[in-house]
Amino acid sequence: MKKCFIWASCLAGLYVLQSSLLPIIAYNGVSPDILLIVVISFSLLRGSRFGFLMGFSAGLLEDLASGTFFGMNTFCKMILGYAFGLVEHKVFKENFFLPIMSMLLATSLNYFISAFLMVLLGYRFDLMQHMEHILFPLLLYNAIFAFPVHKFVYKICELVKEKR
Amino acid sequence: MNRVRKETNSNKKIWILIFIVVSVFCLIFFAARGRYQIPLSERIVMTILAPFQGLISTVNNEIRYVTSSVWEIATVYDQNKMLKSEVEQLRALNLQSNELASENARLRTMLAYKQASTQFDLVIAAVIARDSVTWTNTIMINRGTNDGLKKDMAVITSQGLVGNVVEAFSSSAKVELILDPRSAVGTIVQRPESRVAGIVQGNKDDKMMARMVNIPRDADVVEGDQIVTSGFGGVYPKGLAVGIVDRIDNDEGGLLKYAVLKPAVDFQKLEEVAVIVNSREALPAPLVPAIPPEQTPTTEMDSVAGDAK
Repeated sequence: MKKCFIWASCLAGLYVLQSSLLPIIAYNGVSPDILLIVVISFSLLRGSRFGFLMGFSAGLLEDLASGTFFGMNTFCKMILGYAFGLVEHKVFKENFFLPIMSMLLATSLNYFISAFLMVLLGYRFDLMQHMEHILFPLLLYNAIFAFPVHKFVYKICELVKEKR
Repeated sequence: MNRVRKETNSNKKIWILIFIVVSVFCLIFFAARGRYQIPLSERIVMTILAPFQGLISTVNNEIRYVTSSVWEIATVYDQNKMLKSEVEQLRALNLQSNELASENARLRTMLAYKQASTQFDLVIAAVIARDSVTWTNTIMINRGTNDGLKKDMAVITSQGLVGNVVEAFSSSAKVELILDPRSAVGTIVQRPESRVAGIVQGNKDDKMMARMVNIPRDADVVEGDQIVTSGFGGVYPKGLAVGIVDRIDNDEGGLLKYAVLKPAVDFQKLEEVAVIVNSREALPAPLVPAIPPEQTPTTEMDSVAGDAK
């Protein structure tokens, strides 16, 4: 129960930071997706089941608090949380490049899954132009933020373990 | 035996996961079509988060204020020179426009032309959060139903149209920007020879530009045209600045073209907005001043009845 509370308040705090502080550094309306980094780091550290749960709750929080298409973040984040959790036992968790590389992959996957959903919802757009304007700055931002956030998640994981 | 049980157990888990994924997938489509709404949770989440968002964005604005004032002090000399020359120009223009205004008044009395101008009741709100998702564009403001906000009210700044309220909670509200692909604003070209009507939507290819669609190929729209709201549809009052035509492209379909607009409002630096809670067509100025000036408050009360919304 206590663990859940710690994680929930972490998610809420990070969402508040992401929505009210990070737009200051937004480029072209794009700012880093901290919650995605948390989900990916968490699932790399704790495996696919917890990753799925984390992705689901982080996505749901984002969907409820922001005015986007409901369920889109929940869907993308829980799938990615599950998928990245599958390699939990195959990676060296304290590697510097692990969070950065996995974030690059996760950001692109997240982007393409949501682009596919947008097409299914009936919105047409020019993919190349959109990628140039949105995906590349997003990749850069997420790669920069990946390591510090990964460290943060790692610390919280340790903390929660001690509590247990 | 144990192993078999373990396997069926994990199989079951996989099925549960698949079930959740599929149901969320379906939920996206139901929610997007407006057939399903999550009754209470959104309200609870926003009531908890909004105060924190407000606090952090206040700190954020302070920081921005300090850094921008440092920058302003550094550039104040050049700016001063520029402003002085602008004042000279504006003085000349002012003289000219005074002349025109008096001419206009004379001609108007000659034609007995009555013109209604719109008046707004505004509620000033601070932007407390901005969603950072890829496909949509909404902001949160720190006023809600307690301050008289309702769904579908127009949100503006002094520069022009920002968007409309899509959801109002007790002390915060969600505003959908005109850059959001879901928003649609009825607009016209302001140039008197043109007056072409079209719909402004968010541009999906570029988050910071809007797009005016449904313009016939042969319509008279050129780069640099000012686009204002048309008042059709009833959500947005007439005559709010929306943007300036940046370039014009042909639609893939063939018969139509679209204009890419540079929005009038600087959406990168959106700190304070005003919500139009009441807009009314003011009564035209009486040609013969029949009403004594001390009775003007009552006329204003009367005009509330002619509420445009």
